[in-house]
Amino acid sequence: MTFQFLSPKPSSYTNKVDADGDIDMLLKTERENFETKVVTPGETITHATQYMGGHGTYISPETNQRLSSVAGVVDRVNKLISIRPLHTRYTGEIGDLVIGRITEVSQKRWKVDINSRQDAVLLLSSINLPGGVQRRKTEADELQMRKFFSEGDLLVAEVRETFQDGSFSLHIRSLKYGKLRNGSFVIVPPALVQRCKTHFHTLPCGVNLTLGLNGYIWVSKHTTQTVEELAIYSNENEEIDQENREAIARVCNSISALSRHFMCINDKMIMLAYEASLNFPVKDLLKLDVMEVITSEVSEKMILLKAGMRR
Amino acid sequence: MPPALISPSENDYILRGVDSNIRADGRGRLDYRQIILETGLITQASGSARCRLGEGTDVLVGIKVELGAVELDGADEDVAAIKAKRGRVVCNVECSPIASQQFAGRGADDFNNELTQMLDRVLNGPQGGLNLEKLCIIPGQQCWIVYIDAIVLDYAGNILDTIFMATRAALYNTKIPKTIIQDRGDGEIEFDISDDEEEWERIEGWDKVPVAITLNKIGSRHIVDATPLEELTTEAKLLVTVNKDGKVCGLQKSGGGSINPSLLNDMVQTGRSLGQSLIQSLDEMLQREENDINLKRARKERIEKLGFFAAI
Repeated sequence: MTFQFLSPKPSSYTNKVDADGDIDMLLKTERENFETKVVTPGETITHATQYMGGHGTYISPETNQRLSSVAGVVDRVNKLISIRPLHTRYTGEIGDLVIGRITEVSQKRWKVDINSRQDAVLLLSSINLPGGVQRRKTEADELQMRKFFSEGDLLVAEVRETFQDGSFSLHIRSLKYGKLRNGSFVIVPPALVQRCKTHFHTLPCGVNLTLGLNGYIWVSKHTTQTVEELAIYSNENEEIDQENREAIARVCNSISALSRHFMCINDKMIMLAYEASLNFPVKDLLKLDVMEVITSEVSEKMILLKAGMRR
Repeated sequence: MPPALISPSENDYILRGVDSNIRADGRGRLDYRQIILETGLITQASGSARCRLGEGTDVLVGIKVELGAVELDGADEDVAAIKAKRGRVVCNVECSPIASQQFAGRGADDFNNELTQMLDRVLNGPQGGLNLEKLCIIPGQQCWIVYIDAIVLDYAGNILDTIFMATRAALYNTKIPKTIIQDRGDGEIEFDISDDEEEWERIEGWDKVPVAITLNKIGSRHIVDATPLEELTTEAKLLVTVNKDGKVCGLQKSGGGSINPSLLNDMVQTGRSLGQSLIQSLDEMLQREENDINLKRARKERIEKLGFFAAI
């Protein structure tokens, strides 16, 4: 029952100095390794005029230079320059794995919040009905839609279609997808989650991880039991013991630490952060100084890994 | 305000986590997040403070003291006579729509009223601690009116506790210019307000201002410093305001659920002891900050407030 009051700290652009007064030289190589350029609104991206401007750029009327209109990283494809904003809503692509929350049940469809500019739709026809057999959706199904998903439910789905107005339609026509249970929900900026071969991971610490590309992450207890068709839409949690709860909390806090320091989030990074976090009790991971220790350890390890790969 | 949503399985996970004393973020039931506090960051205000809880909740409080006429009407003559010798405190709390989607449009109106009323009820009475008589300059005529404006800039649960903390810090930071009263004889009194920036006084009774501890009843137990998801799981909320001496200055129960008498007693006691240690840590922090500033002033160094340029 102690209260910890802190003063705000200024941001510093100097190299990190450790307890012995040694300056961290790795940071310089780190900068060379990741050749990303971060720009702020109004900053000049390039003086050259041969480039085409994409999203997040504009031409200064006075100087004719190409400036950034958002804070983000410079993205160049041949001659097209665009800025990928750091803080943004999710813009989906077909086949993306997303996690969403049902906000509305209407006729033949659900509205799903997926951290996008508009709510996505999940049609009754794009879900698997219990029973397994492919069949036409009847009026009876339409009347009991809340039995499948009701307001507030979390689900993992795939983007089926994108529309002109920027909205999406989702589907969950696979046993991989469906309602989420037995765990806890974390939100990170969508820019941090990278597209990978798989977004379902089982970490060695007995925790299942679902990384939604929209920045919604589900951390849950690892279950060996196969999904039974009938239980897809169940809301019942399994028994989760003390140890599992701690592991889940630790993974969640590691993810928040990474996102706070704006480091990309994938299973490898989360595992590194998790290992680094083992020196601290779970609730200490919410402390800002502990977060910094963990993330700096992760970035050090990443650089070592990269250097090893190059050799 | 469109209600924020939570799924039944999340609800169950939080409920059982609270029961086994491991919350979703690994904290125990009575663990608070870290608090980041800075005072005096708004130069135009008489006093200000910004208080943040963990990575989320962010509250900015600005206090302005202005001259005004005393309130002359009351329910009866006695009340009017007391009011004529008093200054006033006017509170206003506003939730910015950037804090949460729920506050967009007119969504926050009711919530703003609730928060404003709570702050006002606690501070505008004998339990508020402030010496309102000292705010009166000429009885029956002029007094200082203390405008307390709080704005919620980011929301990650536990707003009221943060508002009260920030308010206490801002009141400590508030400087009221000194007034010089001159009696012109024949009943006419005039006063001057000192222009000297060094001549100021603190609001008397700032140290007796209570802080609030919100206790959220989840299942058959209670937690403090809830996250938004935990607040959605909460059946009933109890706000306990406590002052330095551990005296309960106000209680407010909200939420649809019920609290049984033995649990209620337990919650009030927890609130009291937590509130007292919160005030102690808060005062230490304020003292530390002031000492730093005094030290810098003595060394003729520049005193810089970080405000919104802070990295953390």
